[in-house]
Amino acid sequence: MAADHLIIFDHVSVCYWQNNMGIHSIKDLITKRKNPFQSKTILSDVSFTVGRGESMGILGRNGSGKSTLLRTVARLVQPREGKVTVNGTYAPILAIGAGLELELTGYENMRLLLSLYGKSRRNTDPIKAIVDFSELSDDVLRMPAKRYSSGMLARLAFSISIANEADILIIDEVLAVGDQGFQAKCMDKIFKIKDEGKTILFVSHSPGDVLKVCDTAILLESGKLTHAGPAAEICEHYNKLF
Amino acid sequence: MRRRIQPQTIYKNSNVQNIHRIYALSKRNIILRYKNSLVGFFWGFFKPLLYLLIFIAVFSKIPSNHIDNYILYVTSGLIFWFFFSNVTNQSVGSIISSAGLIKSLDIPVIFFPLSEIIGELFNFILTIAVFMVVMYWFGLTYSFRLLLIIPCILLFGVFSLGITVFLSSINVFFRDVGILWGTIQPALFYLTPIGYKEDLVPTAVATLNPIYYFIKLGRGIIHDTVPPSASLWGACFCIAAASLLIGSFVFYRLKNQFISTI
Repeated sequence: MAADHLIIFDHVSVCYWQNNMGIHSIKDLITKRKNPFQSKTILSDVSFTVGRGESMGILGRNGSGKSTLLRTVARLVQPREGKVTVNGTYAPILAIGAGLELELTGYENMRLLLSLYGKSRRNTDPIKAIVDFSELSDDVLRMPAKRYSSGMLARLAFSISIANEADILIIDEVLAVGDQGFQAKCMDKIFKIKDEGKTILFVSHSPGDVLKVCDTAILLESGKLTHAGPAAEICEHYNKLF
Repeated sequence: MRRRIQPQTIYKNSNVQNIHRIYALSKRNIILRYKNSLVGFFWGFFKPLLYLLIFIAVFSKIPSNHIDNYILYVTSGLIFWFFFSNVTNQSVGSIISSAGLIKSLDIPVIFFPLSEIIGELFNFILTIAVFMVVMYWFGLTYSFRLLLIIPCILLFGVFSLGITVFLSSINVFFRDVGILWGTIQPALFYLTPIGYKEDLVPTAVATLNPIYYFIKLGRGIIHDTVPPSASLWGACFCIAAASLLIGSFVFYRLKNQFISTI
């Protein structure tokens, strides 16, 4: 079973510290000995599996724990309870501008992030791939990223992320920006990655996109997994939420 | 029930990759530091010189403050102080400012303060090299004793790393730390005998000030006629080790919660 399941979540709960900072928290700390950091449950008792080559959509309202779930897959967050097994490498899709250093130029950002992904600096093929895919001109890439428009930043971020070849592609609502041409191009690329037999985790607020990309989906409601199953079915449940 | 996620064998040579990662981050820090300044890294050298002028103007008027080779005395203390001051100021927010990377990539968070130290050490070593050349005209005598500056820099680097890791971890949860640190520093600066004789600082204060030991060690190598004693080396070693221990203890207690707060 373990071999064909790339991601296994076994009754996973994740808690964050939530701090109520400010002068009141100091007063409470002194008078009532109340800890200013409260533990807040973000995900509770979530279980699912994703097979190799499967594409799973993650739907839910804002703040239902979708991004936390992706971070748990990416092993950025340790679960409080339960067990997470990930049998493969993952490529994070950078949220808009996150991870890009705005003072650095496009090229410098590419080299930095590729090194951080663990790529060799001598291999320049990924750089070419990024430049080709992003369709940004040489002049633009020599400019500091702070002068980029949000669409240009999204192009750069998406192009860098997909240059990192991995078994699992994590996409967290990046397709919302970028012009129509680039959006279509991203979709094409996602389908291509899917055809290569890679696994995709896809977070989106657009059930239409989820239907196009994903085979299965899960629905999160305030940190609990309420529905899991074929994408079409889950999209209906999602639409009923509103 | 708390179980860790099993680490996967993803990379065959992940140590090599981690070295590349630290290198890339350090390089980024060096580029960013002087990105829009005219003389770039030479600020590392000019800043102590400007302070030297202030010190000469203020302290040379005090008759009891007669020190042999005053310029060498002051600059040898100043370059060490500025290394410490730069590195702590820049990296107190290093974890917070890397939020984007920490939230999307599986990189050990310790790399961020560590790369700040490495970037600044690089600057520091270049500054010392320039300093060694220029100070020839101000009475620096070349001998093999000067090579002792290398272990001295290493110890000071370890000490600064401990402080940095401590400050930047706490700063994630209490941003007050960064602000407070900026105001504590001038006090610490004047409690360290950099521009004046050691006996101007009360002994009790001097012995409690960890930076005092490192300044004394560096100055012993560069300025004094007698080399620093073994007990001073021992004291510096212990302080550096203690600082690293405390820093890493605090860091490892807090690191799993960084992502929820930044």
